[in-house]
Amino acid sequence: MADTTKTYAALNTELDEVLAHLQSDVDIDQAIVLYEKAQKLITEIEDYLKAAKNKVEKVKLKFR
Amino acid sequence: MSELPVLSVSDFIGLVNQTLDLAYGSVIVEGEISSFRVAKEKYVYFDLKDDSATVNCFMTVYQLRTPLEDGMRVRVYASARLTEWGRFSLVIRAVEPVGEGALKKALELLRAKLEAEGVFDPARKRALPEYPERIGLITSADSAAAADFIKITGERWAGLSIQLVDVLVQGVDAPDHILAAIEHFNQMSQPPEVLVIIRGGGSADDLAAFSTEPVVRAVAGSRIPTVVAIGHETDLALAELAADLHASTPSNAAELLVPDKKEVLAQLGSLRQQIGKWLESGVSLKQAELKQMKQEIIQAMSLRIGGIEHELTLKRTLLDALNPMKVLQRGYAIVRIEGRAIASVRKLKISEAADIEMRDGIARTEVRSVEAG
Repeated sequence: MADTTKTYAALNTELDEVLAHLQSDVDIDQAIVLYEKAQKLITEIEDYLKAAKNKVEKVKLKFR
Repeated sequence: MSELPVLSVSDFIGLVNQTLDLAYGSVIVEGEISSFRVAKEKYVYFDLKDDSATVNCFMTVYQLRTPLEDGMRVRVYASARLTEWGRFSLVIRAVEPVGEGALKKALELLRAKLEAEGVFDPARKRALPEYPERIGLITSADSAAAADFIKITGERWAGLSIQLVDVLVQGVDAPDHILAAIEHFNQMSQPPEVLVIIRGGGSADDLAAFSTEPVVRAVAGSRIPTVVAIGHETDLALAELAADLHASTPSNAAELLVPDKKEVLAQLGSLRQQIGKWLESGVSLKQAELKQMKQEIIQAMSLRIGGIEHELTLKRTLLDALNPMKVLQRGYAIVRIEGRAIASVRKLKISEAADIEMRDGIARTEVRSVEAG
């Protein structure tokens, strides 16, 4: 199940880091681990975008 | 003659002011400005006139929301007063330009003043968060503008927290409401990441609150980046010029502020395929490398083995050449005494038994004589 405590921005930053690592000079074993991690993060982001709702709160101020 | 009370001048003035408070505590008067002046940089005096009458007006500089000048038609919100010097005047609470001409003039004057100060300088514009999470929204809560903004942000993005402060968005009290809302958000210990100030379409008069000096300065001075979208007019409200980003409509503000999750989901789908291809090409590359390495090893091994075999052949040939038994083939013989090969005649004794080994057998003999060379 996706970690909905993480925001989109946090998940996206993590994904960018994994992708940068994947495109660098890594051996095949590391590449497989990074690939699986990237796929997992993409799933988390997709779940977040589909499930998370916006919250609207009305604030009453006292005016002079 | 009826008995009338005898009043002092002060009492008379006090009585008149009481009467004025009761009867005309709050009035709205419209007219044209003349003899406008500012004294000691604090007090504003002008006359308000029509075709046949004139009334003096007084206010403080702090109440001026927009620049005024002679000839401008304005509406003043005031109370009537008789000063202790016997001067009748309107004490103004608020003044607003009236009519397109006056509004336009006031706007031009204020725009020029603020432009000269650099309030609209593009270099002052701040970047907005790419993926905002907390938005402060200032608008009329029951308006179509609010509904549109909330609907479109809801369709486009997820996980947003929107705090909405309900304010008047037109009329003489609107600027105070908008200012209070901006101040409220700016004073929060955990303020939102962006302030959005919006209202829908209307006449120039309706939108005037967003071109008043205090509101424009508050937008420019907000520590929270601002997005302002006022009306549908092509002429921008001054608050829009002062904002970090202006949008053409409240809906457009939502579109500019948050990404579209449908596009992001499509990009993520493409990314899945892309990284799959990266991995495949990485594996193929490794496989090709391995195959190449294997071939090189085999080649090297072949060369090595070939070399070893060649060396063995050479050594075999040499060994063959050095085989002592081959010498017998050429007619030589080996002489042995008690099984030991003898290389010198001096080792032979007369009557001693000696074996002569030749290529095809052994002859057993006896030494009869020895002749050294």
